[in-house]
Amino acid sequence: MSDATRVSSGQIGRSLPRVEARAKVTGAAEYIHNLRLPGMLYGKICRSTVPHGRILRIDASAAAAIPGVHRIVTAEDIRTVIAEPYYGPAFHDQPILAEGKVRHVGEPVAVVLATDPHIAEEAAQAIVVEYAPLPAVFDEIEAMNSAAIVHDILKPAGTFPDLKHLAGRSGTNVALDFHLRRGDTERAFAAAEHIFEHSFRTQQVMHTPLEPHVSLADAADGGVTIHSATQTPSFVRIEIARLLGWPENRVRVKTAFLGGGFGAKVYVKLEALAVALSLLARRPVKLALTMEEQFFTISKHASTFRIKSAVDGHGHITARQCQVFYNGGAYADIGPRVAQKSGFTATGPYDIPNVAIDSYEIYTNRPPAGALRGFGVPQLVWAYESHTDLIARALGRDPVEFRRRNLLRDGAPQATGTVMRDAAISAVLDRLAARLAWDQPFDRGAGTLKRGRGLAIGFKASISPTTSVATVAIAADGSCILYCGTVDMGQGSTTAMAQIAAEALGIEAEAVRVVAPDTDVTPYDMGTLGSRSLFHMGNAVRLAAQDARDKLAALAAETGVPPGANLPISEQFRRKYGMQAGTIVGAGSYIPAYAPPDSATGLTPNATPFWMVGGAGAEVEIDTETGRVRVLRLVNVADAGTPINPGIVETQLTGAAIMQLGFTLFEEMQFTDGQLRNPSLAEYKIPGIRDMPDRIEAETVDSAQQSGPYGAKGVGETGTFAVSPAIANAIEDAVGVRISELPITAEAVYRALRRAAGDQLEDL
Amino acid sequence: MTPFELEEPVLLGAALALLDPEDSSVRAIAGGTALMLMMKSGLYRPRRLVSLRKLAPALDGVRSAPDGGIEIGAMVRLSDLRRSAVVRAAAPVIAETLLTHSNVRVRNVATIGGNLAQGDPHMDLPPVLIALGASVRLAGPGGERIVRVEDLLTGYLETVIANNELITAVIVPPQTGWRTAYAKVTARSADDWPALGLAVSVRVEAGIARDARIAIGAATETAMRLPGTEALLAGRAIDDALLQEAGRAAAAEAPVVADHHGSASYKRVLVAVHLGRALRQTIAGAER
Ligand SMILES: Cc1cc2nc3c(=O)[nH]c(=O)nc-3n(C[C@H](O)[C@H](O)[C@H](O)COP(=O)(O)OP(=O)(O)OC[C@H]3O[C@@H](n4cnc5c(N)ncnc54)[C@H](O)[C@@H]3O)c2cc1C
Repeated sequence: MSDATRVSSGQIGRSLPRVEARAKVTGAAEYIHNLRLPGMLYGKICRSTVPHGRILRIDASAAAAIPGVHRIVTAEDIRTVIAEPYYGPAFHDQPILAEGKVRHVGEPVAVVLATDPHIAEEAAQAIVVEYAPLPAVFDEIEAMNSAAIVHDILKPAGTFPDLKHLAGRSGTNVALDFHLRRGDTERAFAAAEHIFEHSFRTQQVMHTPLEPHVSLADAADGGVTIHSATQTPSFVRIEIARLLGWPENRVRVKTAFLGGGFGAKVYVKLEALAVALSLLARRPVKLALTMEEQFFTISKHASTFRIKSAVDGHGHITARQCQVFYNGGAYADIGPRVAQKSGFTATGPYDIPNVAIDSYEIYTNRPPAGALRGFGVPQLVWAYESHTDLIARALGRDPVEFRRRNLLRDGAPQATGTVMRDAAISAVLDRLAARLAWDQPFDRGAGTLKRGRGLAIGFKASISPTTSVATVAIAADGSCILYCGTVDMGQGSTTAMAQIAAEALGIEAEAVRVVAPDTDVTPYDMGTLGSRSLFHMGNAVRLAAQDARDKLAALAAETGVPPGANLPISEQFRRKYGMQAGTIVGAGSYIPAYAPPDSATGLTPNATPFWMVGGAGAEVEIDTETGRVRVLRLVNVADAGTPINPGIVETQLTGAAIMQLGFTLFEEMQFTDGQLRNPSLAEYKIPGIRDMPDRIEAETVDSAQQSGPYGAKGVGETGTFAVSPAIANAIEDAVGVRISELPITAEAVYRALRRAAGDQLEDL
Repeated sequence: MTPFELEEPVLLGAALALLDPEDSSVRAIAGGTALMLMMKSGLYRPRRLVSLRKLAPALDGVRSAPDGGIEIGAMVRLSDLRRSAVVRAAAPVIAETLLTHSNVRVRNVATIGGNLAQGDPHMDLPPVLIALGASVRLAGPGGERIVRVEDLLTGYLETVIANNELITAVIVPPQTGWRTAYAKVTARSADDWPALGLAVSVRVEAGIARDARIAIGAATETAMRLPGTEALLAGRAIDDALLQEAGRAAAAEAPVVADHHGSASYKRVLVAVHLGRALRQTIAGAER
């Protein structure tokens, strides 16, 4: 049966409450943190106390003497079970335990295994490690030309053809450089009426999933089962199989609900260490991090962005140059992909004929940075939308009108040369301006409380090319099980996937049971990341369900059911098998088309399967005596295609915006000489209920992603894009000062106010 | 966390006897909200903890004193303090301060005794209690002594409480004629510990500040009074010029330190601004 003749069962556009809501609210939902296996040992990690140094000596004698300690493990032991113990999705640069040297504070150096987690922790603190400090580098710009080199030699994973040229490079901290050139920027700058140049910075922050990383490995009978709070079970299976030299089918990765992920739990995190420990101990081993340890595990890139634009006499941007430096920390993780993929859109959602982009992933001696809800894009939007507002102001043009004049429209080529399709950029800007009543007068406050408003708009290319596979099983009674490897970490994917399968099958979403990811059961999926799942897995689920429906139709025909007879599915099975027996399995596999960027120009005719567009508007109030910023209203408008579940889409947008609000106003990992000064939630603050704007709104514009499942596309990251520049733009509107570095603390605003008044605050 | 002894005495004398004057690895535990964090991070490893839980009946309750003041048992939980009608009548600023203090889970177990004994400069109550002129009762093997809260706290996590002494109660004197306001200023999340806590008590008669007690916390190494600023206010007619002058004086007087919350020079600005605002609030209250 083709999709066109299918009768809708009304599952699309239905705000079905999340299917797991009851289990979570009643505490019945299972998390890996609660899992205990018989004979299990607990591992606790002894971590580096220096940012860069040679390991001279590890003295574990006192630790080993503590009653209850099973064993102390160092890199040497790891080598006895894993010959080449280095991992990573883009570079094989990260040792399972530090070997010979450490590259950041908090790097795992040794592990204590004990029957009791408290004993393990006590013993881990009793391990003495001596280091010979090496010169270290922490700033991304300094690291570009630093005598301190984090990795002696670059080790890109063989799997990516575009990283091959980096293999064996030495004497550099640049892990990846991506360059894009289109048009003739030099000529355009020479001919420009106006030239604007600015520099913006963002700080290192943490994902802060409320469930910290946890992995439990159980190696037995020539195989290993890994229970892990991971967003990428299939990747973990492949990477562990590679490390062990085993076939994939001897590695099983199971997840449960995740207490948040936000990109912290992608690729291998604790899994390789847990597997090695279990192989060494011949017992199940659990590694469960504390909130504090997460700060040393993965974070979001700090960045510097130098941006320069040429504008003609009509207010058209004719050229833009972007230099983006991502501070990747000590290990590449997925940073090279962040630098490259975000590089595609560094010039912003504008129709600019001449562009030059240079995007760098840089090693430093900070804790590693990876993907965090936006894959580098919020750092870019922060810069290009602050820059765009500055230009509009300097030219005396209205920020909305100036944007509209330059906006990238469907049918026009974007920076990479890829022609825009199904990207509702104009609609997002229009709805934002309408919601903010942009053309109406605005209350500017009084006395020492000044008000202002601002907006910003950003977009992102989805990660590509990636694959999702799903299967749908129809049991003999007509009930349905969906096997899909998408990990539900609170974003509501289980509910949305059930809705898609149900729509394709013509049944109610409540009748579909979704099996949690288990690589022995659920087919391959690239990972739950980058807002890719609803689109990629959604398409695979739809295809699988359609396949099952076609097979049901064939079964009906085979058993002589006349078309349109509306015979219950169970009856069709009974007719075929003579009893309640049999299964129909539908399979679906989805990979979108993609063309890699040209190695010389960075251009590609097909950069992404879909575009995500997110705009934000902010109304703020500034206390001019203290610099305190209050966000009175935060409006988020997005192109999410046709929402499958509007209720979930709204909470995704709002949740993302609140997360970005914390990154905008106060979250910051503070370092002194590579030592993190605030590795705890007592000193690293995330937004609380009293930080919420008085009004927070979310809207999706009318749009459809033609290639998406029922017109839908991803939305998990969209709400983060534009929040920071919208707030900075509103602050300038209110009090006339420009903040170019995140976070925008009250002190930063106050200092800017004093500078603007020619009365700089002196540090005594 | 390594094993330790846990004692739960029912009599104050027994509790005091279980403490060890020489050994700081023996400590009292009340709500445990501060102590458990230090134990989890390995900062504190107890040999023995003396729980005050079963002493609670004797150390509980908020009572009105005959002089119009109040006496708060050391084991009174912050959430009970916040709800106490006696507190609201005699010193409403305490209840107001607790509204934005930590969170409901902490307030439901944390005690006022533990709050003061911890000696953490980033706490909200110490400056408030100092501005109210409060004292604590300290019980020791040799008997009882009374110490003003401003003399109790001597430095970062340091107090004058001996290892074998316990706070049994907090005494708040009558506040007749006095108005108190507390400014909690956070620099990051609104749910944060204070970057600056500023408590201001004034006795105003006919537009003249007869007397003032000004206490600062969080921005300094320990909560303390600002006597120079108090003296500047005494006997002066209250107007905008005076409030500005007092703000500048307090900013100059307070030994403000830099930390995660901000630089010292910025916190001085906060002191100047919020002193004026808090004073204005007390005066507005007095005239109502
Ligand atoms: C998440 C969180 C947020 C917080 N936010 C704030 C905030 O916003 N503002 C703020 O001011 N505070 C805040 N706090 C601190 C909180 O107020 C204190 O932890 C609490 O008041 C301590 O009381 P307790 O009864 O739990 O003390 P405990 O932890 O039991 O004890 C603390 C110390 O006092 C000693 N002690 C306890 N009782 C006595 C006694 N009767 N006599 C002598 N010594 C005693 C103990 O031996 C120990 O050394 C926060 C704490 C947490 C955990």
